[in-house]
Amino acid sequence: MFLFFPLPALASTLLIACIAIFTLAGIMMRPFKLDEARIALAGAGLLLIAGLINPLDALTTLLQDWNIFFFFLGMMTLSSLVDAAGLFDWLAAQAARLSGGSTRRLFFNVFILGSLISMVLSNDATALILTPIVYTLVTRLRLPALPFLFACTFIADTASFLLPVSNPINIIVLTTFKLDLWTFLRLLSIPSLVVISINMLVFFILYRNKLRGKFDIKLLTTATEAFRYPVYFRYTCGVLLCVVIAYIAASAAQFPLSIVALAGVALLLIGALRWKQATVREVGKHVSWSIFGFIAGMFILVRAVENTHLTALFGQLLLSLSGGNSFGAVMIGTAGASLGTNLINNVPMAVVLTSALQSAQHAAVTTRLGFIAATIFGSDLGPNLTTVGSLATVVWLLILRRRNIEVSGLDYFKVGIIVTPVMLAAGALTIWLLLR
Amino acid sequence: MKVLCCLDGTNIEHISDAVKRMLPANQLTLGLIYVIDSGPHGELERQRERFLRAPSLNPRRNEQMQNAENSVAQDILEEGTRSLPGAERMQRIGRPEREIVNYALEWRADLIVICPRSPVGGSPTLGPKSVGHVARFVLDHAPCPVLLARPITREKPPAPK
Repeated sequence: MFLFFPLPALASTLLIACIAIFTLAGIMMRPFKLDEARIALAGAGLLLIAGLINPLDALTTLLQDWNIFFFFLGMMTLSSLVDAAGLFDWLAAQAARLSGGSTRRLFFNVFILGSLISMVLSNDATALILTPIVYTLVTRLRLPALPFLFACTFIADTASFLLPVSNPINIIVLTTFKLDLWTFLRLLSIPSLVVISINMLVFFILYRNKLRGKFDIKLLTTATEAFRYPVYFRYTCGVLLCVVIAYIAASAAQFPLSIVALAGVALLLIGALRWKQATVREVGKHVSWSIFGFIAGMFILVRAVENTHLTALFGQLLLSLSGGNSFGAVMIGTAGASLGTNLINNVPMAVVLTSALQSAQHAAVTTRLGFIAATIFGSDLGPNLTTVGSLATVVWLLILRRRNIEVSGLDYFKVGIIVTPVMLAAGALTIWLLLR
Repeated sequence: MKVLCCLDGTNIEHISDAVKRMLPANQLTLGLIYVIDSGPHGELERQRERFLRAPSLNPRRNEQMQNAENSVAQDILEEGTRSLPGAERMQRIGRPEREIVNYALEWRADLIVICPRSPVGGSPTLGPKSVGHVARFVLDHAPCPVLLARPITREKPPAPK
């Protein structure tokens, strides 16, 4: 509308800011249990209809970010095909077998397994696929489920910055800021190891009493029960190994990781169809298509805000708050990203921060790198603070608790509020030390 | 007298000891209840929503989880009937505290026997945290008397003021 009847710059800025704020608030509060994708798309649609963003500009923004969309697609499909082969079940059974009947060693193995899965197949795979498998395993072994569920939930995020592919958030940030693999490993993998160790240590202290004793190893399923078709299982292991090597090579060569993920999907899909282990329809059911709408909506929204230079002002504000030095950059970046991810969601927060930090390009190299590393670190680890999604969910759970309704979601919150600030502080400090 | 014994997989010994020591053996109708906690399913659904996925798990995985839960529940009730022969067995799914109270009402229980909390886990046997949320809810809402089968402890009670 305003494309034909242009508004004064101030009015258009105010309108865009209002729409962006309402959309973010909608994502945060989710009125009428509307899903985030619809809210983000409604916000983007409103901007387009009102002519507050040029449709061509919106289309260019989406096309420029093809790597992110395809990476999400590849990541979800790859995990579901690996799951169809029974690899996750087999790994969980092996973790239990290697623990030799010791509950504590099993707990430790679950942490290690979760870290490896997050590293290679992203945090989604650990949180959404490994968690129910571990739950089934510990139920069968008659062990307390809660510490193991918490371990999977937390390690999914704690180990999600070991490699660029460990979290789609990393891809969102790295699409704009091209970090070479060595810099990524130096600035993020070492802090990741630090926070993984802290996470394990705190959990072992918190659950020391529940993890006492031994379990009967005979209750475990046999290795062959874990997978349905051994040939496809071996084929999947081979393809996955190639994908991991290709991921590392592609990260080093700054080649789009989505292409590697989709190539892995193509190979696994051929195998799955050849040995009748999955159909395209079944694989499609495991893809959350609404995520694409959510990301697209967010990209358009942030692009419109970018055009008003508000994100640049936000970037400048962050820069001045940091005092222009690397310590301030890491601390402000970590605090901002981690709080933001708990207020809304880590995807929009990463998009907003990435856009804002483009205005900090002229800052000193260590300050700029500090901001980039802190954005990835805070957006990846931040969700562990509330884990139940966002502050809106926490508030709702607190209301339920006040009405004397037992809510186990609050247990997550209690653990998160103890362990996450410690991990954030230690990780941020490590990043800063590595920047020097 | 209809006595409902609440099992959690770790307390069979405590419950059967309490029943055998404290209740007259004749004219007792025993019931054993084990509730599969639906809480973890809720956690998994919440987790999926956080990752912007539909809350329901894939059917194969859901079936696996339910099979494991049912098989463990059957084993626990089987062990229960070995300790307390002739007892009726009841398996339920839901929030344990609510299911116990509802079933006690439905079954017209005259007494509920419950442990204060799981004997494993190292929680205090005396003091404010010695009664877990399930036992506390049952004490608060039970439609009949409740026997809290607290294990014998050598811990000292608080000194008088």
